[in-house]
Amino acid sequence: MPSLNGSDPGLDLVALRRRLAGTRGRDYWRSLEEAAGHPEFARLMSEEFPAAEGWSDASIDRRRLLQVMAACVALASVSGCGPEKTRKQLLPYIREPEGMVPAVPRFYATAATLGGFAEGVLVKHYQARPIKIEGNPDHPASLGATSHWSQALILSLYDPERSQMPLQRGVPASEQAFVSALFERRSELLRTHGRGLRILTGSVTSPTFAAQMAALLRTFPEARWHQWEAISREAVADGTTRAFGRPLDAVLHVDKADVLLAVGSDLLSWAPGHLRYARDFAAKRRATETGGRMSRVYAIEATPTLAGSVADHRLVLPPDDIMTALGSLAMAVKAAPEGFAPAPSPWLAAVARDLVAHRGAALVHVGPELPAEAHVLVHAINEALGARGHTLDMIEPVAVGAVNQLGSLGELARDMNAGAVDTLLILDVNPAFTAPADLEFAGALAKVPFAVHLGPYVDETASRCVWHLPATHDLEAWSDALAYDGTASIIQPQVRPLYLGRSAHEIVDLLQGSISPDGMALVQNTWRGRAPAGAPFDGFWRAALRRGVVPGTAAKPVDVPLRGDAAAQVKLPAGAPRETLTVLFRPDDGLWDGRFADNGYLQELPRWHTKLVWDNAALIAPRTAERLKLRGDDMVEIAQGGRTVQMPVWILPAQAENCLTLPLGFGRRVAGNVGHGTGFDLYPLRTSDTVWRAAGVSVKPTGRRYHLVSSQHEQTMAGRDMVISAPLDQFAHDPDFLHKMDRRDPEAPTRSIYPSYDYPRYAWAMAVNLNSCVGCGACVVACAAENNTPVVGKEEADRGRLMHWLRIDRYYSGEPDAPGTYFQPVPCMHCEDAPCEVVCPVQATMHDSDGLNVMVYNRCVGTRFCSNNCPYKVRRFNFFGFTRHDPRLPDAWNPDVTVRDRGVMEKCTYCIQRIREAEIAADREDRRVREGEVKTACQAACPTQAIVFGDMNDKQSAVAARKASPLDYQLLAELNTRPRTTYEAHLRNVNPELEEE
Amino acid sequence: MSRTADAAPILGPRASLADVTDRVCDVVVRQPAPLWWWVAVGLSGAFVVLLVVAASELFVVGIGTWGVNIPVAWGFALANYVWWIGIASGGTIISALFYLTGSEWRRATNRIAESMTLWGAACAGLMPIFHLGRQGLFYWLFPYPNVMGIWPQFRSPLLWDFFALICYIFASILFWYLGLVPDFASMRDRAPTTPWRVFYGLLALGWRGSASQWKTYQTVYGILACLLAPMVVSVHSIVGLDFSGGLVPGWHSLQFSPYFVFGAVYSGIATVLLLMIPVRRLYRLETYITGRHLNVLAKLMLVCGLMLTYSYGLEAFMPFYSGNIFDLHMFLNRLYGHYGATYWVKIALNCVLPQLLWFPAVRRSEILLMVLALSVIVGMWIERYIIVVTSLYQDFMPSAWYVYAGTVWDWSILLGSVGLFFTGFLVVLRFVPIVSISEMRETVHEHVGDRP
Repeated sequence: MPSLNGSDPGLDLVALRRRLAGTRGRDYWRSLEEAAGHPEFARLMSEEFPAAEGWSDASIDRRRLLQVMAACVALASVSGCGPEKTRKQLLPYIREPEGMVPAVPRFYATAATLGGFAEGVLVKHYQARPIKIEGNPDHPASLGATSHWSQALILSLYDPERSQMPLQRGVPASEQAFVSALFERRSELLRTHGRGLRILTGSVTSPTFAAQMAALLRTFPEARWHQWEAISREAVADGTTRAFGRPLDAVLHVDKADVLLAVGSDLLSWAPGHLRYARDFAAKRRATETGGRMSRVYAIEATPTLAGSVADHRLVLPPDDIMTALGSLAMAVKAAPEGFAPAPSPWLAAVARDLVAHRGAALVHVGPELPAEAHVLVHAINEALGARGHTLDMIEPVAVGAVNQLGSLGELARDMNAGAVDTLLILDVNPAFTAPADLEFAGALAKVPFAVHLGPYVDETASRCVWHLPATHDLEAWSDALAYDGTASIIQPQVRPLYLGRSAHEIVDLLQGSISPDGMALVQNTWRGRAPAGAPFDGFWRAALRRGVVPGTAAKPVDVPLRGDAAAQVKLPAGAPRETLTVLFRPDDGLWDGRFADNGYLQELPRWHTKLVWDNAALIAPRTAERLKLRGDDMVEIAQGGRTVQMPVWILPAQAENCLTLPLGFGRRVAGNVGHGTGFDLYPLRTSDTVWRAAGVSVKPTGRRYHLVSSQHEQTMAGRDMVISAPLDQFAHDPDFLHKMDRRDPEAPTRSIYPSYDYPRYAWAMAVNLNSCVGCGACVVACAAENNTPVVGKEEADRGRLMHWLRIDRYYSGEPDAPGTYFQPVPCMHCEDAPCEVVCPVQATMHDSDGLNVMVYNRCVGTRFCSNNCPYKVRRFNFFGFTRHDPRLPDAWNPDVTVRDRGVMEKCTYCIQRIREAEIAADREDRRVREGEVKTACQAACPTQAIVFGDMNDKQSAVAARKASPLDYQLLAELNTRPRTTYEAHLRNVNPELEEE
Repeated sequence: MSRTADAAPILGPRASLADVTDRVCDVVVRQPAPLWWWVAVGLSGAFVVLLVVAASELFVVGIGTWGVNIPVAWGFALANYVWWIGIASGGTIISALFYLTGSEWRRATNRIAESMTLWGAACAGLMPIFHLGRQGLFYWLFPYPNVMGIWPQFRSPLLWDFFALICYIFASILFWYLGLVPDFASMRDRAPTTPWRVFYGLLALGWRGSASQWKTYQTVYGILACLLAPMVVSVHSIVGLDFSGGLVPGWHSLQFSPYFVFGAVYSGIATVLLLMIPVRRLYRLETYITGRHLNVLAKLMLVCGLMLTYSYGLEAFMPFYSGNIFDLHMFLNRLYGHYGATYWVKIALNCVLPQLLWFPAVRRSEILLMVLALSVIVGMWIERYIIVVTSLYQDFMPSAWYVYAGTVWDWSILLGSVGLFFTGFLVVLRFVPIVSISEMRETVHEHVGDRP
């Protein structure tokens, strides 16, 4: 990032504007009014704020808005990196900046956060432009993998609909005006010791922010800091506090868990450290690599989770029964006294026996959506199973200022309504959308005379606050954050803010009276105090930035004894009447609490289980749907305690009966073009008492229908061997069983009539391990981000035109109430005898010298015969000029990958741009490409290492080893296409006791 | 019964050499266009306008305006293409194959059949271009030398389809035109005004009707007929290859070539019947196009229908015989799946209804013949739709299965092409003798003698 080093002499518009504003001081507004009629001012205004032209014009249409916004980004980008505009000429580099070679990417470490917790990432830059996110192998929460949320960050960085300028009551204002207003307010607050000052943030792990807040609260002793995460982990914290007597966090060692019980668990989906957990989890599932050993996984859940879907045994129970089951289990493993709960069912008894038999290698995990009592019980069970020190450690809490968020927010809302809050800083949260409905937070905001919202978008909260300030993107500002295990990372900006963004650190610093807040200095100050004494700070700082982690910051396990009466203090719920319906709130797989609503990648990511895109739906069990006489797409009115929402239902196998799962995050009311009008807002139904669960719900069909769009329409394998699954025992008895079940017609020729080719140089190939894949979708978004695949929108998705080069198929087997679930990532198979190649009349798709099935976009005339002839249906067609209509700037695309035009076929290339880059580098050094040198985007992102890619000619390579596995099979082998992508058959480590039932 | 029908004379009672020329030529050169012609041209012209609009939409906005998707990447356009080329082929069979067999009844019908072929092939030729993602680059299929040294993929059925179609269109134009040369000379001689004389004179290529000209003419015509008759079979075999060359269940079958030829001739003969019956009435050509002709064509249609039914039977038999799960799924799905109704409508229109043609009374009824011909034409379009769509929408990967439906633009292209066909045919009706004068005179000469 040379432009951040201060070496760039160019004066940017932001600075220019600040200087102008600064010289006029508080006369600025009066001057503006005077100048408003002046043509010169109008010219300057339209040059600086093209988007502000006709801003107040309500009739502005969408297309115009997009144009204006795109123009704005262009301007902002130019101002960020180019020379001063008035110079009116562009100069090429005469001497390259040191270390910068065009077309050679550079990687910078930083961290992405979700709910405050850090996930280490590396950002790939081309000539100072962030292009792609990769995981940071040195970071404990990533180990090189990324979540789909992190992968989608690049798209939101370049989003032209991000907030671009401060707004005062919805009207563009100068930042200087805000600063003046804030300082005025500050002097008042100083007099009152901060009475009426409130700060609302999300969960925070940042040491810098914590220090800043501590200092702020010293300056304003009567101020209060509130926190609110809609997807709160309060039950976890609360349960731990009740079990241990004080707040602690648990760090799991899934790699040591031979038996794992996941209870409504987010272990593999969104728990802090989920990428790491998924990696450890998967390593224990690859029987071919562990000498035939496999962990055994049980799940108890009311609504399908990733952990439950990949479990060997899943018990689907309504939420109340889950509590009872946990009680019985606690009793069975001697964590609770006899008579504490009903005797365990045979299923639970078998699980308990298995857990006890693996004392010290057993682990129970429970999700944050279950009540604190469940967490207490699970702590007691884990303790009884000897998990501590083996599969689990307790550490000091990672999050800062952990408070009872719900209570804290409620108090804030009460105070706001009572008029006791006159200054409210809302930093990067959207409570007007996500706060529990009974708090009426949006209404209370109107009573705050000086409400400031800092956020990346003009959202529901921004539109209700007096002031809105554009927040910097995660990749634009300095900060720091801790991972699930306490490991600290410095967040360094990857690009100068594209818009007039400010970070939360800077706003708090302004409030502290700083005139020119400097994020870097703030973060450095924090770490100056924490750097090892004796060594120069600069070295420490640079090393921390370079590695993306601050060494030695991982938290040490603390030995706090479990309270003796931990389990006994839990009161199990009395059995609820069966017929009443219960609603379960869950974060959406893509949009989370709604903050990612403006990200097209995440809107269009097929949801893990439903495969729905661009919408949420009330997920309902097949039997319940039958009982209520509901079909998928039926609009229903869901009412609870006088609050109602209307939304469509979607029938979901493996859902507990009489339970509706409602994914939050959709139905944004104030959002950009992408996020607006998708799905249904469920927060109006969610109150302080029903944060995760609302019982006694009534569901009434409205008689109307809605149209939900799913990316997969057939749910079974239709009797075909798409995913081959077998019990572990069968594999143990006969490792070659798969090859004995010959799926080919024995009389069919095995060779093509065309001569086969040798690939003496490289033979690139992929192997996907179905025992590892948990279906999280990180690969899907990584592929889209790497390969510039367009986002097509709901309408086109409905017409079967999704452009994902890699999709995750999800199949069910068995009874719909408790089905087996299988995930199968399907990229291009790169068949040796590719059916697509022979049918293309213009040779637009063909084999290259490495045996890749390549697609020559420029040669394609669009007959689409190749797609028809592809048995795997992995080819994607540009039915429209999708990329032409993409609002992204050219700069936002990956420059290594051609952007495809209308009428052209495209498909997975095995990330050929990465292969070529490695081959060229190897050729230059006169050597072969080394193992691990080429990683496809999907492989790199995959948290579970399900995808392995490499050179099959290299017999030592990981991919060759996977291909040699007795479990390796080809998809649709009977067609003799000889795919280069193969799969490792799925194994289930069944408990013989349970299988007999 | 059938003997009576067969025994219907090939010429009406008032046939004479002069009458042939008068009747056929005069409607073109001497009489103003009748009202029905204007009405018909206006109506079909409106559909041509629809075609132009739909094509413009397609070129400007893109193929996405159609219903095609992944997995059903081919839809109406391919069904239309096979349908039109099939209709065209039927005409060629009548005019070329039956020329070689020396069938007398052909002489009255060949002009109608060839004109139909011409416009059917023109409509067919549009479809593969329309259906491309990048229509402007269709010529990349042609193996022309280029600086990049890129050649087309000679293994692709589509390439051979392109060659076959081009050859076929050119051969059809040539055959049609060659047959017209002596007639153009007659028109030139009878044209009332100089401009028309010049117009037809140029087209007549200096035809004098001399014995040496006739000798050369007959030779060339015979050679062309010899080329065209097998070409029909080859064109349709190659069209069949577009499907059987793929591995899609429902396509990957050896029977496609004969199956497609049967289907093509079937729909072609139905279309000839559909056109011939009104033309005969409107142009008062009952003397030359008699019940005999209709009877022969109706029988041919019945035979083709039976052959096609046999193909359907074979298509049904093979999945069960092979036991291939993909083929079985595809076939049962065709019968009972999302598009199940189309299958049964197809069977009703193509196999069941035409059995009425066993009855001579039906073969004598012009109305019934037209209804049956129309039902066959519609049925054959549905057949092609089934082949294209129901094979693709549920092939190998259950996860990729999805349904397809044509959009308003798909229908516009289909209806527009019908409009183009009829407009073209009406233009031929207006400017060209619709029964071959020279050949008809030959028939009259043979049967009636040279009475004036």
